Amino acid sequence: MAIVVKLDELLHERRMTLTELAERIDITLANLSILKTGKARAIRFSTLEAICEVLKCQPGDLLDFEPGS
Amino acid sequence: MTKGQTAALPIAYVTLRILIVLNWLYGAAILGLLAFTFINEPWFMRAIDVPAGTDAQAIMTGLRWIAGLGLLAVPLNHLILTRLLRMVETVGRGDPFIAANAYRLQAIAWALLALQLLSIVIGGIGKAIASKEFPLHLDAGFSINGWLAVILTFVLARVFAEGTLMREDLEGTI
Repeated sequence: MAIVVKLDELLHERRMTLTELAERIDITLANLSILKTGKARAIRFSTLEAICEVLKCQPGDLLDFEPGS
Repeated sequence: MTKGQTAALPIAYVTLRILIVLNWLYGAAILGLLAFTFINEPWFMRAIDVPAGTDAQAIMTGLRWIAGLGLLAVPLNHLILTRLLRMVETVGRGDPFIAANAYRLQAIAWALLALQLLSIVIGGIGKAIASKEFPLHLDAGFSINGWLAVILTFVLARVFAEGTLMREDLEGTI
């Protein structure tokens, strides 16, 4: 998919673990791992909002469009 | 879920299993009858009471064709019943909205279509060999209900396929 999820980089910058984020946005670690590894088919606005709120970022910081990837 | 709905599943399962066995018995009976027309043709002619003055050989050939085509219905019925049984099993497991069931429903629709075509051919042969002296009433031929069932099953198969895709999408949504 041409949409790349940059959750790993954001977590690294914020010095936060995936488990911590999962607890704070109330999403299972398994689902968040699916999102992080780019295996998710879609992302809900509510999930995006929760992640952006906790990581203090914009949706564009989390998602990237890389044609051909 | 009501008590009636919970009972419907095991009843459907057992009924389908019985129908699968009955279908093969029906096939064996037709095959036996067809074989007997070759083994003892004069006895069979007397048994069906072909009146004098009619083309007995044409009637016999027609009846053999009807029996032969009737045999073709056995694997088609088997396909429908076994696919339906697998679908009932997935309902029992609580996961019926899967791609496999959409394919099963489509296979059932094609088998129903083939059965309707068979029925028309059998009905045609029956009409061709029937006469005033030798009336033959077969429950075969064109059936509005049969063709409606074919269309309905094709549409349902498509609905099932779309529904399965939608569910897969929903499952991949975080």
